[in-house]
Amino acid sequence: MNSVTPDDNIRKAIILMYRSEQSVLPVVDHQNQFVGTIYSNNILKNIIPESFGFLDSSRLFYEVNEAVENLKHVKDENVDKYMASNRDAVKENSDMKKIADIMLNNKESLLFVVNDQGYLRGFIERSNLLHYLLDEVENNSE
Amino acid sequence: MITTVTLNPSIDREYFVEKNEVMKNQFIYNEENLKVYPGGKGLISAINFKELGYGDVQNIGFVGGKQGLFFEKMVQEHNIISNYIHTESEIRNNVKIIGKEPATYTQYNDYTFEVEKEEVDELIIRFKRSISESECILISGSVPVGVDFDIYQRLIKIAKDKGKRVFLQASGEALKLALESEPDVVTPYFKHHKTILDMEMEEKKDYIKAGKKMQEMGAKRVMIPFHCDRILFDKNGDVYQLSPRGYCIINWLGAGDAYNTAYLDYAFKTDKFDFIEANLRGGAAALWIAENRAVYLKERKDYNDCLDRLEVTKLEV
Repeated sequence: MNSVTPDDNIRKAIILMYRSEQSVLPVVDHQNQFVGTIYSNNILKNIIPESFGFLDSSRLFYEVNEAVENLKHVKDENVDKYMASNRDAVKENSDMKKIADIMLNNKESLLFVVNDQGYLRGFIERSNLLHYLLDEVENNSE
Repeated sequence: MITTVTLNPSIDREYFVEKNEVMKNQFIYNEENLKVYPGGKGLISAINFKELGYGDVQNIGFVGGKQGLFFEKMVQEHNIISNYIHTESEIRNNVKIIGKEPATYTQYNDYTFEVEKEEVDELIIRFKRSISESECILISGSVPVGVDFDIYQRLIKIAKDKGKRVFLQASGEALKLALESEPDVVTPYFKHHKTILDMEMEEKKDYIKAGKKMQEMGAKRVMIPFHCDRILFDKNGDVYQLSPRGYCIINWLGAGDAYNTAYLDYAFKTDKFDFIEANLRGGAAALWIAENRAVYLKERKDYNDCLDRLEVTKLEV
Protein backbone atom coordinates (compact mmCIF):
# COMPACT_ATOMS: atom_id res chain seq x y z
CA MET A 1 0.00 0.00 0.00
CA ASN A 2 0.98 3.66 -0.20
CA SER A 3 3.92 4.41 2.02
CA VAL A 4 6.98 6.59 2.44
CA THR A 5 10.32 5.91 4.10
CA PRO A 6 11.98 8.05 6.81
CA ASP A 7 14.53 9.33 4.29
CA ASP A 8 11.93 10.37 1.70
CA ASN A 9 11.38 14.11 1.56
CA ILE A 10 8.24 15.98 2.58
CA ARG A 11 7.51 17.01 -1.02
CA LYS A 12 7.07 13.35 -1.92
CA ALA A 13 4.81 12.77 1.08
CA ILE A 14 2.61 15.77 0.15
CA ILE A 15 2.24 14.65 -3.47
CA LEU A 16 1.35 11.13 -2.37
CA MET A 17 -1.17 12.42 0.19
CA TYR A 18 -2.81 14.60 -2.45
CA ARG A 19 -2.98 11.98 -5.19
CA SER A 20 -4.10 9.14 -2.95
CA GLU A 21 -6.50 11.38 -0.99
CA GLN A 22 -5.00 10.21 2.30
CA SER A 23 -4.01 12.75 4.92
CA VAL A 24 -2.11 10.13 6.90
CA LEU A 25 0.60 7.87 5.47
CA PRO A 26 2.47 4.93 6.95
CA VAL A 27 6.24 5.19 7.17
CA VAL A 28 8.16 1.99 6.48
CA ASP A 29 11.83 1.07 6.41
CA HIS A 30 13.58 -0.26 3.33
CA GLN A 31 12.36 -3.77 4.11
CA ASN A 32 8.75 -2.52 4.16
CA GLN A 33 8.42 -2.84 7.94
CA PHE A 34 6.19 -0.30 9.64
CA VAL A 35 8.12 2.30 11.64
CA GLY A 36 5.70 5.18 12.11
CA THR A 37 3.15 7.58 10.71
CA ILE A 38 3.28 10.92 8.96
CA TYR A 39 0.26 13.19 9.41
CA SER A 40 -0.61 16.06 7.09
CA ASN A 41 -1.45 18.01 10.28
CA ASN A 42 2.13 17.74 11.46
CA ILE A 43 3.40 19.15 8.20
CA LEU A 44 0.85 21.97 8.25
CA LYS A 45 1.70 22.93 11.82
CA ASN A 46 5.29 23.40 10.77
CA ILE A 47 4.63 25.68 7.85
CA ILE A 48 1.55 27.71 8.76
CA PRO A 49 1.87 30.60 11.19
CA GLU A 50 -0.04 30.02 14.40
CA SER A 51 -2.35 32.96 13.80
CA PHE A 52 -3.45 31.68 10.39
CA GLY A 53 -7.21 31.39 10.12
CA PHE A 54 -7.93 34.27 12.49
CA LEU A 55 -6.79 37.01 10.18
CA ASP A 56 -8.55 39.78 8.48
CA SER A 57 -8.39 39.55 4.71
CA SER A 58 -5.78 42.28 4.40
CA ARG A 59 -3.21 40.16 6.24
CA LEU A 60 -4.17 36.82 4.68
CA PHE A 61 -2.04 37.30 1.59
CA TYR A 62 1.00 38.02 3.74
CA GLU A 63 0.43 34.93 5.86
CA VAL A 64 -0.03 32.64 2.84
CA ASN A 65 3.24 33.93 1.47
CA GLU A 66 4.89 33.15 4.78
CA ALA A 67 3.57 29.57 4.63
CA VAL A 68 4.89 29.21 1.09
CA GLU A 69 8.27 30.49 2.25
CA ASN A 70 8.28 27.99 5.11
CA LEU A 71 7.35 25.12 2.81
CA LYS A 72 10.27 25.97 0.53
CA HIS A 73 12.54 24.81 3.35
CA VAL A 74 10.36 22.05 4.76
CA LYS A 75 9.66 20.28 1.45
CA ASP A 76 13.23 19.07 1.12
CA GLU A 77 13.50 17.83 4.67
CA ASN A 78 13.20 14.18 5.53
CA VAL A 79 10.00 12.53 6.64
CA ASP A 80 11.68 11.27 9.81
CA LYS A 81 11.82 14.82 11.15
CA TYR A 82 8.02 15.12 11.05
CA MET A 83 6.79 11.56 11.53
CA ALA A 84 5.37 10.05 14.70
CA SER A 85 7.46 7.06 15.62
CA ASN A 86 4.86 5.48 17.84
CA ARG A 87 3.88 1.92 17.07
CA ASP A 88 0.13 2.36 17.30
CA ALA A 89 -0.45 -0.10 14.52
CA VAL A 90 -2.73 -3.07 15.08
CA LYS A 91 -2.09 -6.67 14.14
CA GLU A 92 -4.06 -8.45 11.41
CA ASN A 93 -5.60 -10.74 14.01
CA SER A 94 -6.44 -8.03 16.57
CA ASP A 95 -9.99 -8.16 17.86
CA MET A 96 -12.37 -5.29 17.30
CA LYS A 97 -12.43 -4.36 20.99
CA LYS A 98 -8.72 -3.68 20.98
CA ILE A 99 -9.00 -1.67 17.78
CA ALA A 100 -11.88 0.35 19.24
CA ASP A 101 -9.84 1.01 22.41
CA ILE A 102 -6.88 2.31 20.46
CA MET A 103 -9.06 4.43 18.19
CA LEU A 104 -10.90 6.02 21.10
CA ASN A 105 -7.68 6.78 22.97
CA ASN A 106 -6.14 8.13 19.83
CA LYS A 107 -7.24 11.21 17.98
CA GLU A 108 -6.60 9.66 14.59
CA SER A 109 -9.41 8.17 12.57
CA LEU A 110 -7.16 5.61 10.95
CA LEU A 111 -4.92 2.81 12.18
CA PHE A 112 -2.38 0.90 10.16
CA VAL A 113 -2.42 -2.89 10.19
CA VAL A 114 0.73 -5.01 10.31
CA ASN A 115 1.38 -8.75 10.43
CA ASP A 116 3.28 -10.57 13.19
CA GLN A 117 6.59 -9.73 11.54
CA GLY A 118 5.77 -6.02 11.45
CA TYR A 119 5.19 -5.81 7.69
CA LEU A 120 2.56 -3.35 6.60
CA ARG A 121 -0.70 -4.98 5.50
CA GLY A 122 -3.29 -2.20 5.25
CA PHE A 123 -5.30 0.21 7.33
CA ILE A 124 -8.57 0.40 9.17
CA GLU A 125 -10.66 3.54 9.48
CA ARG A 126 -13.25 4.56 12.06
CA SER A 127 -15.89 4.15 9.36
CA ASN A 128 -14.82 0.49 8.95
CA LEU A 129 -15.21 -0.04 12.69
CA LEU A 130 -18.61 1.67 12.71
CA HIS A 131 -19.77 -0.34 9.71
CA TYR A 132 -18.68 -3.55 11.41
CA LEU A 133 -20.59 -2.56 14.55
CA LEU A 134 -23.67 -1.68 12.49
CA ASP A 135 -23.53 -5.12 10.88
CA GLU A 136 -23.37 -6.65 14.37
CA VAL A 137 -26.39 -4.63 15.50
CA GLU A 138 -28.41 -5.65 12.48
CA ASN A 139 -27.41 -9.31 12.72
CA ASN A 140 -28.36 -9.38 16.40
CA SER A 141 -31.77 -7.85 15.75
CA GLU A 142 -32.66 -10.43 13.07
CA MET B 1 3.36 -13.26 -0.06
CA ILE B 2 2.86 -13.36 -3.81
CA THR B 3 3.68 -10.20 -5.71
CA THR B 4 2.15 -9.45 -9.08
CA VAL B 5 3.10 -6.46 -11.20
CA THR B 6 0.69 -4.57 -13.48
CA LEU B 7 2.16 -1.42 -14.96
CA ASN B 8 -0.69 -0.58 -17.31
CA PRO B 9 -3.94 -1.43 -15.51
CA SER B 10 -7.36 -0.47 -16.76
CA ILE B 11 -10.97 -0.22 -15.77
CA ASP B 12 -12.72 -2.68 -18.06
CA ARG B 13 -16.39 -2.20 -18.90
CA GLU B 14 -18.37 -4.87 -20.69
CA TYR B 15 -21.73 -4.00 -22.22
CA PHE B 16 -23.91 -6.90 -23.36
CA VAL B 17 -26.48 -5.89 -25.99
CA GLU B 18 -28.89 -7.82 -28.19
CA LYS B 19 -27.38 -6.48 -31.39
CA ASN B 20 -24.41 -4.15 -31.71
CA GLU B 21 -25.32 -1.59 -34.36
CA VAL B 22 -23.65 1.68 -35.28
CA MET B 23 -25.70 4.89 -35.05
CA LYS B 24 -28.16 3.28 -32.69
CA ASN B 25 -28.76 4.18 -29.04
CA GLN B 26 -28.57 1.21 -26.74
CA PHE B 27 -30.26 1.08 -23.33
CA ILE B 28 -29.08 -1.27 -20.60
CA TYR B 29 -31.54 -1.81 -17.76
CA ASN B 30 -30.31 -5.11 -16.38
CA GLU B 31 -27.12 -4.98 -14.32
CA GLU B 32 -26.20 -8.47 -15.55
CA ASN B 33 -25.57 -6.85 -18.91
CA LEU B 34 -23.10 -4.35 -17.55
CA LYS B 35 -19.86 -5.43 -15.93
CA VAL B 36 -17.21 -3.10 -14.53
CA TYR B 37 -14.04 -4.62 -13.15
CA PRO B 38 -10.36 -3.88 -12.62
CA GLY B 39 -8.30 -5.19 -15.50
CA GLY B 40 -4.67 -5.86 -16.23
CA LYS B 41 -2.83 -9.11 -16.67
CA GLY B 42 -0.94 -9.33 -13.39
CA LEU B 43 -3.96 -8.16 -11.43
CA ILE B 44 -6.27 -10.88 -12.77
CA SER B 45 -3.72 -13.46 -11.63
CA ALA B 46 -3.61 -11.77 -8.21
CA ILE B 47 -7.39 -12.11 -7.92
CA ASN B 48 -7.11 -15.75 -8.98
CA PHE B 49 -4.55 -16.42 -6.24
CA LYS B 50 -6.92 -14.94 -3.66
CA GLU B 51 -9.77 -17.08 -5.00
CA LEU B 52 -7.55 -20.16 -4.61
CA GLY B 53 -7.02 -19.28 -0.95
CA TYR B 54 -3.64 -17.57 -0.80
CA GLY B 55 -3.32 -15.23 2.19
CA ASP B 56 -1.17 -12.29 1.19
CA VAL B 57 -1.19 -11.22 -2.42
CA GLN B 58 -0.12 -7.77 -3.55
CA ASN B 59 -0.36 -5.99 -6.86
CA ILE B 60 2.27 -3.36 -7.66
CA GLY B 61 2.06 -0.83 -10.47
CA PHE B 62 0.75 2.57 -11.48
CA VAL B 63 -2.72 4.02 -11.07
CA GLY B 64 -3.75 7.54 -11.89
CA GLY B 65 -6.32 10.21 -11.20
CA LYS B 66 -9.77 9.85 -9.69
CA GLN B 67 -10.42 6.76 -11.74
CA GLY B 68 -7.22 5.30 -10.35
CA LEU B 69 -8.68 5.69 -6.85
CA PHE B 70 -11.84 3.90 -8.01
CA PHE B 71 -9.66 1.16 -9.52
CA GLU B 72 -7.74 0.79 -6.24
CA LYS B 73 -10.99 0.44 -4.28
CA MET B 74 -12.12 -2.32 -6.64
CA VAL B 75 -8.80 -4.12 -6.14
CA GLN B 76 -9.11 -3.83 -2.35
CA GLU B 77 -12.59 -5.39 -2.56
CA HIS B 78 -10.76 -8.58 -3.57
CA ASN B 79 -8.60 -8.33 -0.41
CA ILE B 80 -5.50 -7.74 -2.46
CA ILE B 81 -2.85 -5.47 -1.01
CA SER B 82 -2.78 -2.56 -3.44
CA ASN B 83 0.65 -1.04 -3.82
CA TYR B 84 0.40 1.64 -6.46
CA ILE B 85 2.32 4.68 -7.53
CA HIS B 86 -0.29 7.38 -8.05
CA THR B 87 0.32 9.23 -11.29
CA GLU B 88 -0.84 12.58 -12.57
CA SER B 89 -2.44 11.03 -15.66
CA GLU B 90 -5.84 9.26 -15.50
CA ILE B 91 -5.95 5.47 -15.72
CA ARG B 92 -7.18 3.67 -18.88
CA ASN B 93 -10.76 2.66 -19.62
CA ASN B 94 -11.40 -0.23 -21.98
CA VAL B 95 -14.88 -0.69 -23.38
CA LYS B 96 -16.10 -3.99 -24.76
CA ILE B 97 -19.43 -4.31 -26.55
CA ILE B 98 -20.72 -7.85 -26.79
CA GLY B 99 -23.59 -8.44 -29.17
CA LYS B 100 -25.70 -11.56 -28.77
CA GLU B 101 -27.38 -11.91 -32.18
CA PRO B 102 -25.28 -11.98 -34.28
CA ALA B 103 -22.43 -12.80 -31.88
CA THR B 104 -20.03 -9.84 -32.03
CA TYR B 105 -17.20 -8.61 -29.84
CA THR B 106 -16.07 -5.00 -30.28
CA GLN B 107 -13.31 -3.53 -28.17
CA TYR B 108 -12.25 0.06 -27.70
CA ASN B 109 -8.81 -0.15 -26.14
CA ASP B 110 -7.55 2.96 -24.42
CA TYR B 111 -3.83 3.59 -24.60
CA THR B 112 -3.81 7.18 -23.32
CA PHE B 113 -2.31 6.49 -19.90
CA GLU B 114 1.02 8.19 -19.50
CA VAL B 115 3.61 7.98 -16.77
CA GLU B 116 6.28 10.55 -15.87
CA LYS B 117 9.94 9.71 -15.31
CA GLU B 118 9.72 10.71 -11.64
CA GLU B 119 6.86 8.21 -11.20
CA VAL B 120 8.92 5.43 -12.81
CA ASP B 121 11.79 6.17 -10.42
CA GLU B 122 9.35 5.96 -7.53
CA LEU B 123 8.06 2.60 -8.78
CA ILE B 124 11.58 1.18 -8.76
CA ILE B 125 12.12 2.36 -5.17
CA ARG B 126 8.73 1.03 -4.02
CA PHE B 127 9.25 -2.30 -5.84
CA LYS B 128 12.64 -2.82 -4.16
CA ARG B 129 11.23 -2.55 -0.66
CA SER B 130 7.86 -4.16 -1.31
CA ILE B 131 9.13 -7.54 -2.53
CA SER B 132 11.00 -8.27 0.71
CA GLU B 133 8.44 -10.86 1.78
CA SER B 134 7.80 -12.41 -1.63
CA GLU B 135 9.52 -15.48 -3.01
CA CYS B 136 7.92 -15.23 -6.39
CA ILE B 137 7.16 -12.22 -8.57
CA LEU B 138 4.73 -12.40 -11.48
CA ILE B 139 5.28 -9.57 -13.97
CA SER B 140 2.70 -9.39 -16.67
CA GLY B 141 1.22 -7.10 -19.30
CA SER B 142 1.99 -4.03 -21.32
CA VAL B 143 4.08 -0.96 -20.51
CA PRO B 144 2.41 2.47 -20.47
CA VAL B 145 3.64 5.46 -22.45
CA GLY B 146 6.49 7.23 -20.68
CA VAL B 147 8.03 4.06 -19.28
CA ASP B 148 11.18 2.84 -21.02
CA PHE B 149 11.10 -0.65 -22.48
CA ASP B 150 13.90 -1.78 -20.15
CA ILE B 151 11.55 -1.53 -17.15
CA TYR B 152 10.98 -5.28 -16.89
CA GLN B 153 14.70 -5.89 -17.27
CA ARG B 154 15.30 -3.55 -14.31
CA LEU B 155 12.55 -5.05 -12.14
CA ILE B 156 13.69 -8.62 -12.84
CA LYS B 157 17.29 -7.73 -12.00
CA ILE B 158 16.19 -6.28 -8.66
CA ALA B 159 14.16 -9.39 -7.90
CA LYS B 160 16.89 -11.81 -8.98
CA ASP B 161 19.51 -9.94 -6.93
CA LYS B 162 17.28 -10.52 -3.91
CA GLY B 163 17.00 -14.24 -4.74
CA LYS B 164 13.39 -14.17 -5.96
CA ARG B 165 11.89 -16.31 -8.71
CA VAL B 166 10.38 -14.38 -11.60
CA PHE B 167 7.58 -15.33 -13.98
CA LEU B 168 7.29 -12.94 -16.93
CA GLN B 169 4.50 -12.48 -19.45
CA ALA B 170 5.41 -9.75 -21.89
CA SER B 171 5.62 -8.78 -25.53
CA GLY B 172 7.66 -6.71 -27.97
CA GLU B 173 10.71 -4.72 -26.99
CA ALA B 174 10.02 -5.00 -23.24
CA LEU B 175 10.16 -8.79 -23.54
CA LYS B 176 13.32 -8.73 -25.64
CA LEU B 177 15.20 -6.55 -23.16
CA ALA B 178 13.88 -8.40 -20.10
CA LEU B 179 15.47 -11.70 -21.16
CA GLU B 180 18.89 -10.35 -20.29
CA SER B 181 17.93 -10.42 -16.59
CA GLU B 182 17.24 -14.16 -16.85
CA PRO B 183 13.64 -14.62 -15.72
CA ASP B 184 12.79 -18.14 -14.59
CA VAL B 185 9.67 -18.59 -16.70
CA VAL B 186 8.67 -16.58 -19.77
CA THR B 187 5.46 -16.61 -21.70
CA PRO B 188 5.19 -14.12 -24.54
CA TYR B 189 1.90 -12.78 -25.80
CA PHE B 190 0.87 -11.15 -29.03
CA LYS B 191 -0.46 -7.62 -28.98
CA HIS B 192 -0.72 -5.82 -32.31
CA HIS B 193 1.57 -7.99 -34.40
CA LYS B 194 2.19 -11.70 -34.36
CA THR B 195 5.90 -11.40 -33.75
CA ILE B 196 8.28 -12.55 -31.05
CA LEU B 197 11.78 -11.02 -30.88
CA ASP B 198 10.89 -9.28 -34.17
CA MET B 199 10.39 -12.66 -35.88
CA GLU B 200 7.08 -13.27 -37.70
CA MET B 201 5.21 -16.23 -36.25
CA GLU B 202 3.47 -18.27 -38.93
CA GLU B 203 4.41 -21.92 -38.81
CA LYS B 204 5.21 -24.14 -35.87
CA LYS B 205 8.92 -24.06 -36.70
CA ASP B 206 8.87 -20.25 -36.22
CA TYR B 207 7.52 -20.68 -32.70
CA ILE B 208 10.13 -23.31 -31.90
CA LYS B 209 12.89 -21.08 -33.20
CA ALA B 210 11.61 -18.18 -31.09
CA GLY B 211 11.35 -20.31 -27.95
CA LYS B 212 14.89 -21.60 -28.36
CA LYS B 213 16.12 -18.08 -29.01
CA MET B 214 14.49 -16.82 -25.82
CA GLN B 215 16.26 -19.53 -23.86
CA GLU B 216 19.57 -18.59 -25.47
CA MET B 217 18.93 -15.00 -24.44
CA GLY B 218 18.37 -15.84 -20.77
CA ALA B 219 14.93 -17.39 -20.10
CA LYS B 220 15.10 -20.67 -18.24
CA ARG B 221 11.70 -22.05 -19.25
CA VAL B 222 9.40 -20.77 -21.99
CA MET B 223 5.75 -21.37 -22.90
CA ILE B 224 4.50 -19.89 -26.19
CA PRO B 225 0.80 -19.72 -27.12
CA PHE B 226 0.36 -21.53 -30.45
CA HIS B 227 -3.24 -21.07 -31.64
CA CYS B 228 -5.17 -22.90 -28.87
CA ASP B 229 -2.10 -24.96 -27.94
CA ARG B 230 1.10 -24.09 -26.12
CA ILE B 231 4.63 -24.99 -27.08
CA LEU B 232 6.67 -25.69 -23.99
CA PHE B 233 10.44 -25.34 -23.66
CA ASP B 234 11.91 -27.03 -20.61
CA LYS B 235 15.23 -25.89 -19.25
CA ASN B 236 16.96 -29.15 -20.31
CA GLY B 237 16.20 -28.34 -23.96
CA ASP B 238 13.15 -30.61 -24.36
CA VAL B 239 10.23 -29.17 -26.32
CA TYR B 240 6.60 -30.23 -25.94
CA GLN B 241 3.23 -29.32 -27.34
CA LEU B 242 0.25 -29.04 -25.03
CA SER B 243 -3.13 -29.42 -26.78
CA PRO B 244 -6.70 -29.31 -25.53
CA ARG B 245 -9.27 -31.74 -27.02
CA GLY B 246 -13.01 -31.36 -27.56
CA TYR B 247 -13.38 -27.77 -26.44
CA CYS B 248 -15.79 -24.93 -27.15
CA ILE B 249 -14.33 -21.49 -26.54
CA ILE B 250 -16.75 -18.76 -25.51
CA ASN B 251 -14.37 -16.42 -23.69
CA TRP B 252 -10.71 -15.51 -24.07
CA LEU B 253 -10.56 -12.90 -21.32
CA GLY B 254 -8.64 -14.20 -18.32
CA ALA B 255 -7.55 -17.48 -19.91
CA GLY B 256 -3.85 -16.57 -20.06
CA ASP B 257 -3.92 -15.23 -16.50
CA ALA B 258 -5.60 -18.42 -15.32
CA TYR B 259 -2.82 -20.40 -17.02
CA ASN B 260 -0.12 -18.42 -15.19
CA THR B 261 -1.92 -18.72 -11.85
CA ALA B 262 -2.47 -22.48 -12.02
CA TYR B 263 1.11 -23.07 -13.22
CA LEU B 264 2.49 -21.15 -10.23
CA ASP B 265 -0.04 -22.62 -7.82
CA TYR B 266 1.24 -26.08 -8.73
CA ALA B 267 4.85 -24.87 -8.34
CA PHE B 268 4.10 -23.43 -4.86
CA LYS B 269 2.37 -26.57 -3.64
CA THR B 270 4.73 -29.30 -4.81
CA ASP B 271 8.06 -30.49 -3.49
CA LYS B 272 8.93 -32.22 -6.75
CA PHE B 273 8.35 -29.73 -9.53
CA ASP B 274 7.44 -31.24 -12.87
CA PHE B 275 7.32 -28.86 -15.83
CA ILE B 276 4.75 -30.88 -17.76
CA GLU B 277 2.49 -31.25 -14.75
CA ALA B 278 2.66 -27.50 -14.07
CA ASN B 279 1.63 -26.78 -17.66
CA LEU B 280 -1.19 -29.31 -17.50
CA ARG B 281 -2.59 -27.39 -14.51
CA GLY B 282 -2.15 -24.14 -16.40
CA GLY B 283 -3.79 -25.51 -19.53
CA ALA B 284 -6.71 -26.91 -17.53
CA ALA B 285 -7.31 -23.56 -15.82
CA ALA B 286 -7.17 -21.68 -19.15
CA LEU B 287 -9.57 -24.19 -20.69
CA TRP B 288 -12.02 -23.80 -17.81
CA ILE B 289 -12.02 -20.00 -18.21
CA ALA B 290 -12.32 -20.24 -22.01
CA GLU B 291 -15.37 -22.46 -21.74
CA ASN B 292 -17.09 -20.32 -19.12
CA ARG B 293 -18.18 -16.71 -18.89
CA ALA B 294 -15.93 -16.19 -15.86
CA VAL B 295 -12.82 -14.04 -15.89
CA TYR B 296 -11.45 -15.29 -12.56
CA LEU B 297 -10.81 -18.80 -11.27
CA LYS B 298 -12.95 -20.09 -8.42
CA GLU B 299 -11.69 -23.44 -7.15
CA ARG B 300 -9.02 -25.91 -8.17
CA LYS B 301 -11.51 -28.71 -8.60
CA ASP B 302 -13.31 -26.71 -11.33
CA TYR B 303 -10.35 -26.71 -13.62
CA ASN B 304 -8.84 -30.00 -12.51
CA ASP B 305 -11.90 -31.58 -14.13
CA CYS B 306 -10.49 -30.36 -17.46
CA LEU B 307 -7.16 -32.19 -17.03
CA ASP B 308 -8.25 -35.31 -18.90
CA ARG B 309 -8.97 -33.23 -22.01
CA LEU B 310 -5.34 -32.16 -22.37
CA GLU B 311 -2.54 -34.02 -24.03
CA VAL B 312 1.19 -33.39 -24.20
CA THR B 313 3.38 -34.51 -27.09
CA LYS B 314 7.14 -34.37 -27.12
CA LEU B 315 8.42 -32.64 -30.26
CA GLU B 316 11.52 -33.72 -32.09
CA VAL B 317 13.58 -30.60 -32.67
